[in-house]
Amino acid sequence: MRTPLLLLLGAALLPGATFYVTVAGLGGEPEYEQRFAAQAQEIDKLIRAGNPDAKVQTLFGHQATKAQVQSVLAAIARDAKPADAFVLMLIGHGSFDGIDYKINLPGPDLSAVELAALLERIPASRQLVVNMTSSSGGSRAALEKPNRAVITATKSGSEKNATIFARYWVEALRDPAADTDKNETVSALEAFIYAEQKTSQFYETQKRLATEHPMLEDTGQSDGTRKPSPENGEGRVASQIAMLHIGATQAAANTPEKKALLAHREELEQQIDALKYQKAATPPDEYKKQLEALLLELAKTQAELDK
Amino acid sequence: MKKNTVTGYSIPNFRIRLASEALTRKLGNEYPVTVFFLLCGLMTLPLAAQKLDDCRTLSHHGKLPEARTCFARLASSADPYLRAEGLWGLEQFQEANEQFREALKQHPKSVEIRDRWGRLFLERFNKDEAKGLFEEALEIKENDAGASLGLALVAAEGYGSAAIHFATRAAELDPKMAEAHELLAYLALEDNTPDRATKEADNALAIDPESLDAMAIHASMDWLDDKKDSPWMDRILKINPVYGEGYSTAGHFFVLNRRYREGITLYRKALELNPRLWEARAQLGIQLMRLGEEQEARQQLEQCYQAGYKNAETVNTLRLMDSYKNFATFETSNTILKLNKKEADLLRPYIEAELRRAIATYEKKYQLKLKGPVQLEVYPDHEDFAVRTMGMPGLGALGVTFGSVVAMDSPSGRPPGTFHWASTMWHELSHVFVLQATNHRVPRWFTEGLAVYEETAASPDWGDRLDPEVVAAIHSKKLLPVAELDRGFIRPSYPAQVVVSYYQAGKICSFIAEKWSYGKLLDMIHSYAKLESTPDAIHNNLGMSTEEFDKQFLGWIDAQTKNTVDHFDEWKKQLKTTVEDLRAKKYDDVIREGAAIRDFYPDYVEPGSVYELMADAYEAKGDKPAARKELEKYSEEGGRSPLLIKRLATYQEEAGDPKKAAATLDRLNYIYPEDPELHKRLGDLWLAQNNLPGAIREYQAVLATKPLDQAGAHFELANALRKANRIDDARDQVLQSLEAAPGYKPAQRLLLEISK
Repeated sequence: MRTPLLLLLGAALLPGATFYVTVAGLGGEPEYEQRFAAQAQEIDKLIRAGNPDAKVQTLFGHQATKAQVQSVLAAIARDAKPADAFVLMLIGHGSFDGIDYKINLPGPDLSAVELAALLERIPASRQLVVNMTSSSGGSRAALEKPNRAVITATKSGSEKNATIFARYWVEALRDPAADTDKNETVSALEAFIYAEQKTSQFYETQKRLATEHPMLEDTGQSDGTRKPSPENGEGRVASQIAMLHIGATQAAANTPEKKALLAHREELEQQIDALKYQKAATPPDEYKKQLEALLLELAKTQAELDK
Repeated sequence: MKKNTVTGYSIPNFRIRLASEALTRKLGNEYPVTVFFLLCGLMTLPLAAQKLDDCRTLSHHGKLPEARTCFARLASSADPYLRAEGLWGLEQFQEANEQFREALKQHPKSVEIRDRWGRLFLERFNKDEAKGLFEEALEIKENDAGASLGLALVAAEGYGSAAIHFATRAAELDPKMAEAHELLAYLALEDNTPDRATKEADNALAIDPESLDAMAIHASMDWLDDKKDSPWMDRILKINPVYGEGYSTAGHFFVLNRRYREGITLYRKALELNPRLWEARAQLGIQLMRLGEEQEARQQLEQCYQAGYKNAETVNTLRLMDSYKNFATFETSNTILKLNKKEADLLRPYIEAELRRAIATYEKKYQLKLKGPVQLEVYPDHEDFAVRTMGMPGLGALGVTFGSVVAMDSPSGRPPGTFHWASTMWHELSHVFVLQATNHRVPRWFTEGLAVYEETAASPDWGDRLDPEVVAAIHSKKLLPVAELDRGFIRPSYPAQVVVSYYQAGKICSFIAEKWSYGKLLDMIHSYAKLESTPDAIHNNLGMSTEEFDKQFLGWIDAQTKNTVDHFDEWKKQLKTTVEDLRAKKYDDVIREGAAIRDFYPDYVEPGSVYELMADAYEAKGDKPAARKELEKYSEEGGRSPLLIKRLATYQEEAGDPKKAAATLDRLNYIYPEDPELHKRLGDLWLAQNNLPGAIREYQAVLATKPLDQAGAHFELANALRKANRIDDARDQVLQSLEAAPGYKPAQRLLLEISK
């Protein structure tokens, strides 16, 4: 996939706060109860570590009621600004009756339609819902809208088995390898690509029939895709939402005296991006020569910036 | 797991002849009474029945055009049963099927129609329908010999032991049924018991002096004994000058004995006599494919397909050959390696190196240079590999050898930890050498046993462990006498017998090597090359009868396995308790119980082994050194779980022993090299230990797994290459890293460094 480089850099640099809410629903059995709670807690820990200024709220166990979720989202609706980003992560068991999706919570369940209404009130202009429950594909239709990325562990509501996607979503937040463009920020898009690949590999390696097919939708009008790319138009919003930062690029980027270097770096990055687009049409030796020159110049510029 | 490994066979082609000729002799002049009853049962006119008999007689005597004319007349008979037979004779199978259905409507209780219809289904590759009809016939008439024979033929297709039972019953129910004895002779020869085969063939001939298939069994035995000509074939041809089936029967036995080239020659001879023997042509194509002669194989199989001969073997083999375009071929002076393109970059370095090492080792051990290159085909899709073993006896195989062509599963074709590819490859390569050394004249038990022996000789943690099924077999004294051990591979009488036979054969070779010497195993290879039987080979090389050998071997194996066999029930019971205690977090109990039973059955390294339970308990108690020790024992005993092995490597790293950690992880390369994390860790360890070629290989493997983190993978390889002073290669890699992630600072620093 050709990386939408500038958009990803944007994810690291875009202004505004990000609100993260994680909800782990009912497990039904002790094993799932424990697993869901542990995953929610680990996401909480990783997000906090990777975003010291982030606003993080995590609900699991008996706290994860419909009323509590409503209350937390209502508070964010009050506090968030249009420049902010909002991320909601759902873990647990879901169900789909052919019309509406529900996540199983202690007490009354919460439906996708109800959730969509709650999210509608949040003014954050970039939103992400990561629904990792079984049948989560059934929630997509209710949740999708422009500028909101919707990630589901399953393709449709009829994929009802317990999912493993959440395991790899957590791993994506933990594993620096998820940061494939090495800009020291793991975007939602990178985390999805990581978790989707690991989920597929799990079923393939274990020689088991895949009972979940993770999807990403962020155009607000499609059924989503497993392989977001500039070609299919999916992934733009997700690439603009940072899940966590694993470096300290921000401070350097904001130093006023290095503005000229920063501008030069950006120019070089654009030239590299343009050259990569021309790769197929450029003779290999020529491509390599030009690429090396640009990369070397970029490395030198970065070294200056880092001084 | 070589217990699942087999060497190649074709499927029996005997059933077709039995089906098409089944009643020829029975309805001939010798059995007017049978004919009469059959016809009465069918309520058919005697005149018409006589015509059917005539058609079959013509066919039996090889007057094929006349037989066709005769069958054509039958096909226009007023009786649907006779129409069915006529159409069948004309090879209009669908129409014959319809007429059988019609006939059964008219005579719903007829066992004869069911028997014949079942035979048509059997001939047209539908075993299930055939079986159903034979079973229905037996429900109607418990003592129906025809249905019993039908069930025997169904079982014979899958090398089922029930074949002997049903064929024997058929022979008892109808003492004049020559076919039952023909089949028993055929089965006996498949089981490599020529004396019994001779007896049964003679029984058939006593009933029917014109039993062509009994003569074909005799001819096969002559040729297998390297007699150039067989008087039996002359007799066959006098009766039926176009009876190519005589040759194709022998072809089956040659293939069964891994004498593929001679099998091919026999199939060709069969087709020279009768080019319409589609099963012989299909077998010719399949054997050519197995030996890597793809062009002619495809041509023969396509000819079968176009003629409507579309059995599973033909269709699947053609499909398999279509998939060859997805394979890349790598040749050296003595190897041809075929890997699926999607995993070739990853597997090639490991497999090629191991292939070279195995060939060099065996050349020394067997004192033999191979005449040509070994071809190794590695299939990531187990179904593709399975096509290669279709119609062969034994379990679902992992590897298979056809002369100098070896086909095997790829490590990606099996769940991680369930398959040791290097062990399988060494096993199969042993067959290549032994087959060449004996000119393919070696009994199955010996070549399998030696191959099993060689696995653990290559590395003690390779090869199969003593598994619970084998323990049970030893406990209930189910091991076979050495002279009959082939039967355990070909026609197992209980589900685990193939596994047990592999184990037993391997242990017999260990016993010989230990009590006498490895040289005696080589001497036995030479004996088999001279066509000595197992009793002779044992007598001439070990100086004892097979009875005495069995006695001594059983004493030896009992002593070796006594601890496990005697404590097996106790171990099983206590293991359950230990698992429950681990769940209940009673870690001290787990450690105490585990320590008490672990050495009762040290070979048990499957999921939930005592090693694993104890390591979990120690880990939970924070005693990592003790957990490490358990997993070290697990690994030494041959444990193969990638998760546990990687965990052990972590313990070893934490304990400050990176060398051991690297060796532990390297072991996984021979089990499941498809794991990028393994290669990354091992690469890092070797880089730190300055094993630069090793690190480079591992980082290249990471890249070959097409990781998400392309930038990181290229960078790490670049870094190792720079340390190895391969600057140009390092520059290429670092540029690729930065191409994927231009802002990747470590790669930028490396680029600046190597560009100075």
